[in-house]
Amino acid sequence: MTTLESGSVTRPAAVRNRTRNVVRLQFVNTQTFVWVPALVLAGAWVLTMLIYWMLHSAGISEVKTGGGSQAPLWYFLVVGIQAMTLTFPFSQALSLTRREFYLGSLAAAAVSGLGMSLLFTLLGLIEQATDGYGMNGYFAYLGWVWEAGPLAAGLTYFVLTMLFFIIGFWSATIYKRYGTAMLTIVLIGIGLALVGLVALVTWQQAWPEVGRWIVDTGSLGLTLWAILVSALLAAGSYLTLRRMPA
Amino acid sequence: MDSVIEVRHLTKRYKDVLALDDVGFDIQRDTIYGFLGRNGAGKTTAMSILTAQNLPTSGQVRVFGEDPYENAGVLSRMCFVRESQKYPDDATPRHALASARLFFPRWDQDLADDLVEEFQLPLKRTIKKLSRGQLSAVGVIIGLASRAEITFFDEPYLGLDAVARQIFYDRLLTDYAEHPRTVLLSSHLIDEVSNLIERVLVIDAGRIIMDESTEDARAGATNVVGDAAAVERALHGREVIHRESLGRVTSVTFLGRLDDGERAALAADGLDLAPVSLQQLIVRLTQQRTAGRDAFAPASQEGSLR
Repeated sequence: MTTLESGSVTRPAAVRNRTRNVVRLQFVNTQTFVWVPALVLAGAWVLTMLIYWMLHSAGISEVKTGGGSQAPLWYFLVVGIQAMTLTFPFSQALSLTRREFYLGSLAAAAVSGLGMSLLFTLLGLIEQATDGYGMNGYFAYLGWVWEAGPLAAGLTYFVLTMLFFIIGFWSATIYKRYGTAMLTIVLIGIGLALVGLVALVTWQQAWPEVGRWIVDTGSLGLTLWAILVSALLAAGSYLTLRRMPA
Repeated sequence: MDSVIEVRHLTKRYKDVLALDDVGFDIQRDTIYGFLGRNGAGKTTAMSILTAQNLPTSGQVRVFGEDPYENAGVLSRMCFVRESQKYPDDATPRHALASARLFFPRWDQDLADDLVEEFQLPLKRTIKKLSRGQLSAVGVIIGLASRAEITFFDEPYLGLDAVARQIFYDRLLTDYAEHPRTVLLSSHLIDEVSNLIERVLVIDAGRIIMDESTEDARAGATNVVGDAAAVERALHGREVIHRESLGRVTSVTFLGRLDDGERAALAADGLDLAPVSLQQLIVRLTQQRTAGRDAFAPASQEGSLR
């Protein structure tokens, strides 16, 4: 095995560009990454506004808040699933490494998530300035999320989009690599772990402490914890993808 | 010998199937290979492992002297066109080609544009709405225009009509002449590609059973035509691959090389020597092995192979 030369066109810069180009590759699915999340956000906003307007015209002037702004977050599960299932096989045909594909896909999700967070923050600022569109109704400006300011609120929203994306991506990877049974087992396992946690807190009669901790930590503190969880999940997702056959 | 790929003791086991069984071969630089074998023989598995799309159970693969797994430097010099390649749902051929352009450093856009026209590929239709032939054309265009130093075509012509296949063969040869590179072409249409390929690599049941130049492979069998009795005399008990008779004239293909003396003797006997079909030869070789494995002799099949 001496007749071989080693890779002569290996250019580190070109290799870095490949990861960046994965973002462009993912955005071929503009619908997945841009239009549907934007549509979900817009739809949730319109529905919420109609309800607030109805309540307002019925003379209800108290503060009105709703959970509609979380709707796009759930959609990022789907974005994660599609980023994996739709584009991974093609990424392999383009001679990408799994690492390039993974980092590029995370970057694509981050671009999309940043856009959504920006919209969320802008809506919140508008609501703050207009006292809830003049009808005391709030879609994005939710007191608890905004207590550390607009930047923190935007960060919270962004981290949640990434968390949902990574969960979706990892689920899809497990499904593609090991099949439905394994994915179901993993989900049941996670469910059991959560129930176990709830049981532990209940037996220790620690719910007041847990409640206090959540309030003390605040949404910004919880967001920082969510970053840690996301990072762990992202690492697990990569390890599952790393030896995945195309 | 200047090899770009070296495979040693490569084994791939799926749950209960041994797809590759201790395989070893070298692939020479700037050569067109026919990578031949029956369905399930292990062709796709081998090509997937060479391009790091799949992982070996054991054994070693070196491409440009390096392990291709997660190796962007090596992978960017290869292109693997699968028969059943999947594309993103919303993608059109335009997207697919634009994406390929992003990742293959030697991509030639003019060549791609030319091929799109020749294959009459609708660029703006979503890929899931393409016909089987048009879908194959997308892969063929990516494989040719990427000009990767090693290009793998895994039965790239599914659904392509004869004209489109000829375009593929012609363009491959023309472009290969101008930009030499290594090509592994897996195909079931052996006779159609036999003029294209310089070397044949035949895999059967996870093992390499032939690895030689197309010329040598063909010389491994001989076809004689002439008077039935003279033909029978010429056989000398050699193994017959194919026999056809019409009246007193018989055409027989048999295994074994002939030296010049034997050729002269046959000619003196009034027999004509004709070139052998590579397809016949390979079909017969793989069938013999199947027969050996399954312990039944397909003696009655003689002559039914075309």
